[in-house]
Amino acid sequence: MTVRVIDVRESVMARNNAIAATVRRRVDAEGVLALNLVSSPGAGKTTLLERTLDALGDELSIAVVTGDVQTQNDADRIARHTSALVQAVVTGGACHLDSLQIHRALEAIDLAQTDLLFIENVGNLVCPAAWDLGERAKVVLFSVTEGEDKPLKYPRMFREARYAVITKIDLLPHLTFDLPRAIASAREVNPTLEIFLTSATTGEGMDEWFAFLRREVSRTSAATAALRG
Amino acid sequence: MHEMSIALEVCRIAETRLEREQLGRLVGVGLLVGDDAGVEPANLQFCLDALLAQPPFGGATTKIARCAGDALRVDYLEVDE
Repeated sequence: MTVRVIDVRESVMARNNAIAATVRRRVDAEGVLALNLVSSPGAGKTTLLERTLDALGDELSIAVVTGDVQTQNDADRIARHTSALVQAVVTGGACHLDSLQIHRALEAIDLAQTDLLFIENVGNLVCPAAWDLGERAKVVLFSVTEGEDKPLKYPRMFREARYAVITKIDLLPHLTFDLPRAIASAREVNPTLEIFLTSATTGEGMDEWFAFLRREVSRTSAATAALRG
Repeated sequence: MHEMSIALEVCRIAETRLEREQLGRLVGVGLLVGDDAGVEPANLQFCLDALLAQPPFGGATTKIARCAGDALRVDYLEVDE
């Protein structure tokens, strides 16, 4: 047997990243703010989306792509809060969404009529960190029931994210969760992380989250308009 | 699960290269996996061994080299000519 070595040096993520770049061009061209929500299971991604759709659904056109390992339960929940399109991606066992799934999901979404696109990733703080979906930013959620050292345990996700939402803060009086330590842990991993403190149950902190979304949608739309001249 | 996605992409890269360049039988795949790549090398090895045992590969072996950082790439292929 004569063995020849073929030099390859190709990134395993190259194809995903190329498709993600295409997705990013598509959403940017239409002035759509695309946010990729990531968290462990049960942190409150779907509930945050439900409250956001209830509060902003009349003033912003919001589309949602939800990823779940099995079932369309999250998509069904969100669809009850909006007349806009909710696209469900069932990954069939895979622990993350990839850019090809988003590229295909966008075929059913009228981006020209969309202000804000949420991608609700599969609940997992490891794998989704590695996959660029073409989003503007990753938003990582973690709840006060999870432990304040989560950013230190999952540093890549918190490094990849531009924003963090600490959820369920209405439960703080009943827990030993150390909020200052949690924020310090997040900033230790990512010093520029912008952090929101929210409770979807009491509404605490939600106005700041909504104001942030309005501001970023406005910025994105203005940037696209400027490019179009 | 994550490693299986990575392994499938490694196989796609190898298969594309073999077809495009009309190379011989694949006998080895060399990978570089960074410490911060978010990949468990033993799991990736397991997934690749399972996939590479199937046609069109027929039992190619996997060699994983480690490095600092988040590199994750197919470094080289070994083909029987």
